[in-house]
Amino acid sequence: MAEKRRSGVSMAEPKIAKADSEEEFLSQLGVAALLRGSLLKLVEARPEDPIGFLADHFANLASGSEAADCGDAEPSRTVQDRLSQALWNLNLAHHSQRSAFNNNVRVAYELLMTGGQHLCPGGGVRGRIYTELLRSLCTEAGLSSSTSAPLLRRIQCQDHEAVPFELFRQGVLICTVFADYVRKSQSLYLAVCGGSEVPAQRALCQAALGALRDALDTTQCADTARYLEASAKIAPCTLAQAMVSAQSSYEAQAGASMDPEEFEKEAVALFTARIQPVS
Amino acid sequence: MNSDRFALTIDEYLAEKDVMFYLEDAITQLLEHKEEYVQFGVSRYLAEYFNSVRHGSHVLFREFGYIKATPHNRASFIRIFWKCYRQIGKNGVLLSTLEYSSLLQLICPDFPVEVAQGAARMVLLDDALDCPMTFADFLHALQIQLYFEEFIESITVIYQDLLSGKSPNTVIVPTSTSVEQLPPLATSETAAQEGVDASAFQDAVEAACERYKHSHPPAPAVGEILQQDERVTLYGFLTALAKHEGISKEIGSLPSRADLLIDPEMDQELERLIAQISVSPTSSCSQAAAQRDSGRKASPRKSLHHRKRIEMESDGSTEETDSSEN
Repeated sequence: MAEKRRSGVSMAEPKIAKADSEEEFLSQLGVAALLRGSLLKLVEARPEDPIGFLADHFANLASGSEAADCGDAEPSRTVQDRLSQALWNLNLAHHSQRSAFNNNVRVAYELLMTGGQHLCPGGGVRGRIYTELLRSLCTEAGLSSSTSAPLLRRIQCQDHEAVPFELFRQGVLICTVFADYVRKSQSLYLAVCGGSEVPAQRALCQAALGALRDALDTTQCADTARYLEASAKIAPCTLAQAMVSAQSSYEAQAGASMDPEEFEKEAVALFTARIQPVS
Repeated sequence: MNSDRFALTIDEYLAEKDVMFYLEDAITQLLEHKEEYVQFGVSRYLAEYFNSVRHGSHVLFREFGYIKATPHNRASFIRIFWKCYRQIGKNGVLLSTLEYSSLLQLICPDFPVEVAQGAARMVLLDDALDCPMTFADFLHALQIQLYFEEFIESITVIYQDLLSGKSPNTVIVPTSTSVEQLPPLATSETAAQEGVDASAFQDAVEAACERYKHSHPPAPAVGEILQQDERVTLYGFLTALAKHEGISKEIGSLPSRADLLIDPEMDQELERLIAQISVSPTSSCSQAAAQRDSGRKASPRKSLHHRKRIEMESDGSTEETDSSEN
């Protein structure tokens, strides 16, 4: 504020009225409300790069108001805009930052709900937009459509359905967790390869996948205990033992190998099979 | 900044990247250039402002006070200086302190000569200050001089204390005097050429580092430099700082020395910048442009607006090229 006043004074020392007109000017443009709203958004999302966040945020606002000025000539374009805004919000915080992530999901949900004139009678986001969002989430995370298709088939909704918030949140969370899972399984394959260019041995891959399946199958006990047990099952030493015993087996001697695509497919299948289909 | 940001208070979070400073400056600029900026809408103006802050082009033609205000601004200015005048380095031209100072004043009209002189002292080890320097040497010295200005001021005091036999552990009052008031030091130093004990100097410098939360060189690099010799002179130390690749990397404005002059993408960017800044698009040599522009100091302001408008009218394609370079 001191800065502002100083420059104002240096510009027009004798005219006291100047300051008033500047305040008037700003209030006419609604600058105070604009800044307040933006700061609230900023501290709510707490992005890593606040300057970039503000640049994108104001650009969003500007393109929003420019679109409004153009009238409703292109409704499909504004749906696209809203989708990309929602995606941008969702990518602000990693899902392990759960409360920030949930906030952003809420913001995205409200963005998509008000999107367009066709509000659902029951309230909620349209199934078509929801499915579109999940697909874009997977693509943005670098997943190929063949990788994400089986999962999306399970969690997508019918085009005409209205998606309630809880389902929306679950769907978004599943997609982001899934993307992390696929990345982890890719690095697991690289670890099995041992950094060499040669495809990994089939027996070793199967041992790793088996350990992964065991861990995912831990379902009997309460949540906390389950996490502990599951992580024990894929602990490095357990995995190493499984791989040592696999290496001495018959198949290892046969020298068969597994390429990364097949490994990823197997790992994806393990994950997807454990997602309850919607509807 | 990492995920710890969720543990900060709101004020701390905002202070970390000087958010309030930029918001205030954005509004000040808006008030100074009402008519021009409002015609595109306030949100569009703010989007452009923050986008230029993000890409570091916001310091071009701004006053020195603004450039010094945040670490990001200082680093951005070094990058712009490098981008604008890289051609000089490429041609292998050696320039004097005053010539570099004029170049700096073309992109920052009130850039103090003293800062350029401080950088020159580092390159020339506080000796024969009229000597011409290579662009790379001057650039790296300027980077240290500008980015760590307060740090350099305070270690200068420490050094003088050590030199005159005072204990460096006495409380050092951060002075507002800057490097230009140091000529007495120059004479006293030539008298005591062997410098000071490196380990005592290191202790004192590290204590000073702890006091500065942000703008000091990383302690391991300081240690590495000071452990090389038993005795050290102030400018010997500063020169080593300027030449240290790790510190330059930490600031993040410049590529490594080997890549400093090789960058075809930057050549295109340079052409684009020159085409936008200079009124006549025929000038392809920045030096020619520089000489022509030096006659009229008032013009940068005008051409900035010209440039801004070009950016606003374009359909975002320039933004894409901007982001690709980061």
